[in-house]
Amino acid sequence: MSYNLRLPRFEYLAPSTAAEVCSLLAENTGEARLLAGGTDLILQMRRREIKPRFVIGLKGIRELAFIREQADGGLAIGGMTTIQDLLTSPVIVEKYSVLSQTAAGMGSREIRQLATLGGNLAGALPCADFPPALITLGAKVKLQSRQGERLFPVEDFFTGCGQTIAGPAELLTEIQIPSLPSRSGGAYLKFHDRHSMDMTTTGVSAFVIWDETNRVLLDVRIALASSAPVPLRARKAEASLRGRAFSGEALEEAALLACEEADPRTSWRATRDFRRELLKTLTKRSLQAAWEKAVSSPNGGKS
Amino acid sequence: MKDLLPLSLRVNGERHDLLIRPWRTLLEVLRENLGLTGAKRSCQEGQCGACTVLIDGKPVNSCLYLAIEAQDKEILTIEGLGRGDAGLHPIQKSFAEKGAVQCGFCTAGLILTTKALLDENPNPSEDEVRNGIVGHLCRCTGYFQIVEAVLDAAREMRSEGRR
Repeated sequence: MSYNLRLPRFEYLAPSTAAEVCSLLAENTGEARLLAGGTDLILQMRRREIKPRFVIGLKGIRELAFIREQADGGLAIGGMTTIQDLLTSPVIVEKYSVLSQTAAGMGSREIRQLATLGGNLAGALPCADFPPALITLGAKVKLQSRQGERLFPVEDFFTGCGQTIAGPAELLTEIQIPSLPSRSGGAYLKFHDRHSMDMTTTGVSAFVIWDETNRVLLDVRIALASSAPVPLRARKAEASLRGRAFSGEALEEAALLACEEADPRTSWRATRDFRRELLKTLTKRSLQAAWEKAVSSPNGGKS
Repeated sequence: MKDLLPLSLRVNGERHDLLIRPWRTLLEVLRENLGLTGAKRSCQEGQCGACTVLIDGKPVNSCLYLAIEAQDKEILTIEGLGRGDAGLHPIQKSFAEKGAVQCGFCTAGLILTTKALLDENPNPSEDEVRNGIVGHLCRCTGYFQIVEAVLDAAREMRSEGRR
């Protein structure tokens, strides 16, 4: 691959509302690509992996960049919210620290300034960091087209590597995160070369609800990055922990189950076996971190 | 296909009215149309930071940014920092004094990212500095001096009350 390649030709379209984007997508089905932060798309174009006829620029659409607290206590985040905005948002740092933790581990300051939450989801790369964290929080994505809006759990959004349930005329407009119960906590931990700058070799997010009265794990959710073609929920591992006291033995057992459920691939970045080893360690550490947050959050959820 | 689009670019306080093709990056337009060669073309994929410029005060990889999307934004390149009667910017002085410049290829990007970092956080810890410049590769292995220069510049700017 030549690193000096210029971008292939395309026609640039700059709508100013989400509705205009949907019209442009509908009129140019299959020939247009959405350009959010560009940190993936520009590279794919430069490598000639894709050569779209139209590029629809989303940076000018102000209505898609927001972080809003909802009346029901949840949070809505616009698809064009940058990773840097997530990192510095007081409400996210305060109430959903697993998301600011995830943002802090992503790329450089320069990349975070461009990359968006919508792009991290819609790109549907198995190594993406936000899908596991959002899955464990029970988040949903909102898709908009000329036909209206659809809402899906983030967990059901991915259908394959680079593939989602979004149709060619749909725009990811919003991510919705429910309010969190008291005594809950979340964490996302990952392994990667060169601090923050490389793709994630393996990542694990855990979310824990702690039953203080009975001193058992009321609910547990675990989701894995780079462990399958899509972000993967480790359901057996979760089930093994529900209703159980928190112990090293329980963590060990859950970590082994997560390894069994995962189907990581061997690539130049890491072998399948090495990723499984990482998974074991990261699952334990992530559960530990989530549990520590849960027990120390008496007045409401703090992921 | 509409090939040439009008673009009004504000770079280092000056306005430039251009006609550009939409697939050209901000880095290409700065270097090739405006002759501002301080931002370097290097990895072309956001790994090395050599092409960093400030857009509305925030550091971005200009190799990943379409020039057409910089319409109405304020762009600062290294050529716009510390010139005229005021002389070198304190960050530039610190880089020179601390030996943080070897071949110089990473320097323009590092200095601009440092400016954005110190504008947001005038008193960073060493960890915050290292984390702030993680997106920059220096092949002369001069990170020690670079971190020292950033911390020195921060001290200097705080004592001058200059941002």
